[in-house]
Amino acid sequence: MKIAFLKKYLTNQLGLIGLGILIFFVVTAVFAPYIAPYDPDQRYKSTDHPNSAHLLGTNHVGQDILSELIYGTRVSLFITLFASFVSAFIGTSLGVIAGYFGRTDFFIMRIVDLFLTIPRLPLIIIIAAFMRPSVWNLVFVFALFEWSITARIIRSEVLTLKNRPYVDATRMFGAGDFYILGRHILPNVVPLVVVQLVLVSRYIILAESGLSFIGLGDPTAKSWGMILHDAFEYPTIFISDAWMWWMLPAGMCIVLTILSLTFIGYALEELVNPRLKLLT
Amino acid sequence: MNIITKVVSYVLIIFIILSLNFFLPRMMPAGPLSDSGITSSNESVLEEYINYMVNLVHGELGWSTSRNAPVWDVLKESLKWTVLLVGTSTAIYVIAGILTGAVSAWKKGKKSDAGLLVLLISLASFPPFFLGMLFIVFLAWRLDIFPRFGAQTLFIDYSTPFGVVLDILHHLILPAATLTLTSIGVIYLLTRNSMLNVLGEDYILAARAKGLSEWYIMRKHALKNALLPIITMVALVAGFVITGTIFVETVFAYPGVGVLVYEAVQAHDYPLLQGAFLIIALAILAVNFIADMVYVHLDPRVREE
Repeated sequence: MKIAFLKKYLTNQLGLIGLGILIFFVVTAVFAPYIAPYDPDQRYKSTDHPNSAHLLGTNHVGQDILSELIYGTRVSLFITLFASFVSAFIGTSLGVIAGYFGRTDFFIMRIVDLFLTIPRLPLIIIIAAFMRPSVWNLVFVFALFEWSITARIIRSEVLTLKNRPYVDATRMFGAGDFYILGRHILPNVVPLVVVQLVLVSRYIILAESGLSFIGLGDPTAKSWGMILHDAFEYPTIFISDAWMWWMLPAGMCIVLTILSLTFIGYALEELVNPRLKLLT
Repeated sequence: MNIITKVVSYVLIIFIILSLNFFLPRMMPAGPLSDSGITSSNESVLEEYINYMVNLVHGELGWSTSRNAPVWDVLKESLKWTVLLVGTSTAIYVIAGILTGAVSAWKKGKKSDAGLLVLLISLASFPPFFLGMLFIVFLAWRLDIFPRFGAQTLFIDYSTPFGVVLDILHHLILPAATLTLTSIGVIYLLTRNSMLNVLGEDYILAARAKGLSEWYIMRKHALKNALLPIITMVALVAGFVITGTIFVETVFAYPGVGVLVYEAVQAHDYPLLQGAFLIIALAILAVNFIADMVYVHLDPRVREE
């Protein structure tokens, strides 16, 4: 069944393109030290134009922009993926607990409602502003605030799953809660969790780039958003040609990652819920 | 959920936000507090907390260290520009989103549908600040057809009041376009889906069988019923747009509340940051609350529960 799922995904063109782009960035992130021509902290002649030594020139303090970009892939993807995995984990756990064990349902769902209504991004910005800017703090604030939608979706799925006849039958044969959860509930929410994981990643990378852009990123581990922050702060970025090698590549990396996550998200949603087919 | 529980939950959230705003600077390591202008007197925390709430009611939000002025005065000055920017963008993306979504659903599977879909989904992948920077590079500097920053031309005498309006609109176009284009995708997709669902209903078939014109069916039968789920989404996107102004105003140096967040972060002006945060958070909550109420009013099924 899983192989059929994968095969079906691979026939989806949008999904394939998205997956291809994402794999490209993940490989870049993992092998950054081998791909990058220089150490991103090493300083050379500042604001150099692109030349054979520095393909994308250097920034205001003389760091090689191409190396920054390659290492930036690491930072951006690490924050995004780590935070979305944690938030998916929290959301799924709470959703399953709320949906399966009725007693905690009311309490958990009120907290979920609260987190859904609270303006999350402004809150993330102000909390990040009061903390020391670091990669781990960013992971923490995003994970803390982005689990609520997942919890709600998983809960309603568990509510329908736990009353299915086959679950009743299993229970009648004397299966315990944990057997039913592990055997019948969790495997069936996995596709939804994966879709949520992709959608939350998409949101977090957009938000992370924004936070870094306004100067709340980690200055010792620059993400793509931080590169754009540096570029924007450079006085003649719009007047000179510097935008072409300083601003455009970092921005396009963000756009492509978001686009790839969007494509993967649509492809997965089509698989989980074929009625949503985008283009026929 | 009935109206009373809704109101109670909103009041609770406002209370939480106000409290967070009070406790955040006090939970952090001593760093920001020392030079921030946030009181560190010898009152107990409870007394400070009560004072803070009382001051809030009186519109006293503290002293902005970077502007050297009361935070509330700075905010008041900026608010009108943000309202103008958010208002214009919201009006445009709601109308344009619904129209493009309806067209796309109507032409499903045709070239115009696929074209709109690809274009609007791609635009939604641009962080607002990056799209804004591209606009500045191309439209403001290279082509030189739009102003490069601000909300008005400085040091200029207008011969007519009409000239002022024209100048303000000219400055508004790029920031508003950036916000609109990056947020239209959600409304577009939702309208498209909602319309497709409605167009599959039997009463649409019946209307066609009666021989009504395609345009009449779209307008009176399909769109009207498809709009309901869009209202909640409009509020959600409005929240996205209000947050988006932080980035867009920064890029265009547009003198609203959003750019204050950027300035405050750069200058470590925490009272100003907190004031701007309060305004933004309360605005988003207000929009959501209005949408909830409108929804209850429009859909009797919600009221019955």
